[in-house]
Amino acid sequence: MKRRNFVKNISLASVAAPFVLKDINFQAIQKKLFNVSKSAEDRVLVIIRLNGGNDGLNTVIPLNSYDNLMVHRANVMLPETSILQITPGLGLHPTMTGMRDMFTAGKLSIVQNVGYPEQNRSHFRSMDIWSSGSLDPQETRGWLGRQFDNDYPNYPADYPNATYPDPFAISMGYEVSSTCQGLMANFSHAINDPFSTSNLLTANIVNDGTYFGSHMEYLATLIDQTNAYGDQINTAANAGTTLSTLYDTNNPIAVQLRYVAQMISGGLKTKVYILNINGFDTHDAQVNATDTTLGTHRDLLKTLSDAVAAFQDDLMLLNLESRVAGMTFSEFGRQIASNGSKGTDHGDAAPMFLFGACINAGIVGPDPVIDAAIDVQVGVPMQIDFRDMYASILKDWFEVPASEVQSIFDHTVNFYQVLGACNVGLEEQEFEKESVLIFPNPAVSYTTIRLKTENEWVTIEVLDLDGRIIKEVADSNMDQGTHLIQFEIGDLTPGQYIVTVKKRSGFKRVKLMKVK
Amino acid sequence: MKPEQPVEQPLSLNMNPYSGTWNKAAAAHLLRRTMFGATNQQILDAVSNGMNATVNSLLQIPAVDLPLTYDAGEGIAAPGSTWINSVYPTDVAANQATETARIKSLGAWMMKRLNSPTLSIAEKMCLFWQNHFAATAASDSRATYLYHMLIRNHALGNFKQFVKDMTIDPTMLIFLNGATNFNFSPNENYARELLELYTVGKGPQIATGDYTNYTEDDVAAGAKILTGWTVLGLRSDSITVPYAQFFPTAHENSDKTLSYHFNNTVIPNADENEYANYIDVIFQQDAVAHFICKEIYRYFVNYDLTADVTTNVIPVMAQTFIDNNYEILPVMDQLLKSEHFYDLSLRGSLIRSPLEMVFGMFNATSSSPNFDLATDSDMYLSLYWIAETMGQAYATPPSVAGWSAYYQAPAFSKLWVNATHIKTRFDISTYITILTGIPVNGNFLKINALGFLNGLSNPSNSTAVISDMCEVFCPKTINGVQQATLKAILINGVGATAEGAWTQQYLQYIGGDTSLESAINNRVQLTLSRLFKMPEFQTI
Repeated sequence: MKRRNFVKNISLASVAAPFVLKDINFQAIQKKLFNVSKSAEDRVLVIIRLNGGNDGLNTVIPLNSYDNLMVHRANVMLPETSILQITPGLGLHPTMTGMRDMFTAGKLSIVQNVGYPEQNRSHFRSMDIWSSGSLDPQETRGWLGRQFDNDYPNYPADYPNATYPDPFAISMGYEVSSTCQGLMANFSHAINDPFSTSNLLTANIVNDGTYFGSHMEYLATLIDQTNAYGDQINTAANAGTTLSTLYDTNNPIAVQLRYVAQMISGGLKTKVYILNINGFDTHDAQVNATDTTLGTHRDLLKTLSDAVAAFQDDLMLLNLESRVAGMTFSEFGRQIASNGSKGTDHGDAAPMFLFGACINAGIVGPDPVIDAAIDVQVGVPMQIDFRDMYASILKDWFEVPASEVQSIFDHTVNFYQVLGACNVGLEEQEFEKESVLIFPNPAVSYTTIRLKTENEWVTIEVLDLDGRIIKEVADSNMDQGTHLIQFEIGDLTPGQYIVTVKKRSGFKRVKLMKVK
Repeated sequence: MKPEQPVEQPLSLNMNPYSGTWNKAAAAHLLRRTMFGATNQQILDAVSNGMNATVNSLLQIPAVDLPLTYDAGEGIAAPGSTWINSVYPTDVAANQATETARIKSLGAWMMKRLNSPTLSIAEKMCLFWQNHFAATAASDSRATYLYHMLIRNHALGNFKQFVKDMTIDPTMLIFLNGATNFNFSPNENYARELLELYTVGKGPQIATGDYTNYTEDDVAAGAKILTGWTVLGLRSDSITVPYAQFFPTAHENSDKTLSYHFNNTVIPNADENEYANYIDVIFQQDAVAHFICKEIYRYFVNYDLTADVTTNVIPVMAQTFIDNNYEILPVMDQLLKSEHFYDLSLRGSLIRSPLEMVFGMFNATSSSPNFDLATDSDMYLSLYWIAETMGQAYATPPSVAGWSAYYQAPAFSKLWVNATHIKTRFDISTYITILTGIPVNGNFLKINALGFLNGLSNPSNSTAVISDMCEVFCPKTINGVQQATLKAILINGVGATAEGAWTQQYLQYIGGDTSLESAINNRVQLTLSRLFKMPEFQTI
């Protein structure tokens, strides 16, 4: 059986035609990354920046280290009973019920211990590193900006045009995003309200080759672009719709994500949307004086979790789930030990969220382990390089060939499969790095799980969407290597299930569709 | 589009006194960079006074009025009097209402300062330091006021003393958690920024935790050195001014050893004097002078620190700083009188910040609110929020590094203008020229178009009017098409007949025919409205 027949995406599986289309598209490897010509299959990436350095240890809590965390950060710790447990060893902050439900439904994954070597604890330098996807201080372009530059080297001259009428990226709010900084200009277009755009007076300008001249050209181009992109955005927003009732109009991120849903549904071909939540630099009063489940950090996480859950609900109702994926990032995590001000200081690695219906659901990387004794100032050590996440997203989500992805990063890229659940027709080798695969899927009576393990104890279970264990597939020690385990599912009620693989080297969740 | 770099190189990297032509363009350049908008008359005065006398005048910091009570929520200080030494109510709700009233008063005070007609670098310098230290407003406006006055009092003073005083300033102690930095639980927030952003600056990471000029261990040692301070009297119903207090029992008494970047200096316990001893050690590194001079250069001269500038200009400025024991004034004096500063290639090399954009329009036209205290204050507060909408809220910089347009490569001041902000810029310029103006209590704050016209060299000559306008508002001669556009709007037509009609109308009006006043005012408003939307106006 050829791998390309392993259909992982349910919505595509029910229709034969998209298979063919997908295969053709896949072979047309020369297509540009952000090619905007194939409207129905256009993919969108939503990036949410948690500005200030999010306290990962109070966001995704490693429960096995709870007692040791109490030693180091008792004054900010959440009561153990309040934590929303999502795996045997992990729980989410009690306010994050929305994202917990997404995790249960296989629409949220958590990449643990994300950072980079020799963590820089300056907000500015570290945000530069995260925005540029490079440790080189001379790198002034953003990681997306470099890819855009490759594809559209003359930007912003002659853009927009008939082929590319829409902004390549939109930054919600008042500022453009440094992730999209290109050589000549920033590829992101800042908008605050897609329903309020206007026609600005254009100017007659000559660049005289001085700094002044370059500003004149920049401003004149900006005015032209603002007018042209503004029309497109306005048209799309008015043509689009939004269906979810979960958006809270007092939640600024929910409001912005609703605008995003509206623009996408209205046909805007923008590939990247960037949002920003300020205030994660919680040096003091991170938690309330009397109740650690309340306070600044809780409010921030609630804003994030509620907004993302509403957005995902909207995408589902709009039938756009297979086109949109999201990620969060923050410039660093915080130190393991809290300070005397009920806050935490700048630290190192932290978890990252990926969301959407096309994620490879589950937990990537082992749970952080906190020792009983730690050095002062220590943070969570980095295990997964954030640049590899960027690279993997480009490859999985935008189907950029691996070699091309490598060319925009200055480190040797290690790909993870994180956003490939809707991809079909991938080459055999693309699965080499994936640790868990179920095929066929959807399946009728039998299916097979393929996984790679170390020499370790492995537990495999089938859960329903409420998290109840329906079937135990394996609970034994396995040798190092790749294993194929066939199991029966004929007795299951048709519907969606989650297969969990628990092992020391990583916890995985994979969706399984049982059909008649 | 041509690449940003290399653009035309500066013709001169010479930091010796400028001896070139001292004309209106050169004088206007000086005033644009050192003030938030100068009038045509101020520029002409600068030309006749000469460069040296003008720079000497600019480098004086005038006294400033106190913030005054105008909002009914104040409750403690009487309307029209200042609240800076007044307690807060005991009742929680009333306490908050008082603070809200004081925040409004303080915001209006900040904007009124920027609207000052005095020829001085004061406000530009204060904003420079506000961007440098970038503390956000405290929860007690009396503390916020003290912080801004500290900046003003040191704006051209001794930088070393400035850093020392800032270290134990109540607003700063709160902003970077110095007020909760104790021996039993050090908080390194201020200790880090003191090195990274305020003094030596962060260099490339050359080893784990080593940033060329300091290390992570220095941050940890600095945090211990600074332990023991806190702030008392915030929002108090009995203490009239909040203040910093040192508690020896909360201070880490052990010796603190700095890294090799500071010659492994040991800082022994010195209780409340220890922070000053530490700052003295920091200032032994010449990196402080280089770091600050680069920042001054980026703010006052050009965002682009070329290799030539880094090699030839910055070291000269830094040496002046060091030779004068970190006095700021001699550095500014040298810079503003230098050949390099007046180089033609640097004219218009910065995009106006929102505050430069807003007050550039008001100040150059001698426009300011002149109603009662409450109305004027609310008008100033409106200007505060307008600038905030465009990305520059004076009292709350977006981060401890200040506004990204002042430091973020490669875009720098281009970051002030994007699709959202350009629309707001256009909207506000329309609003204050040809629409109603900013409404408060039935009064309106608008550009004083007629006053502006009457202050020009030759108002009856439309060509001279446009020429003056461009010199006041634009850093370089604007092209013929743009000039012709403006003139056509002013005289409502083209050609000699329309020009003659303008002359005649103006002479009639100035001769006493008030029936023409409204029409002439209207033409100038329309012209300014257009000029404010030209890219040329958006640079300084």
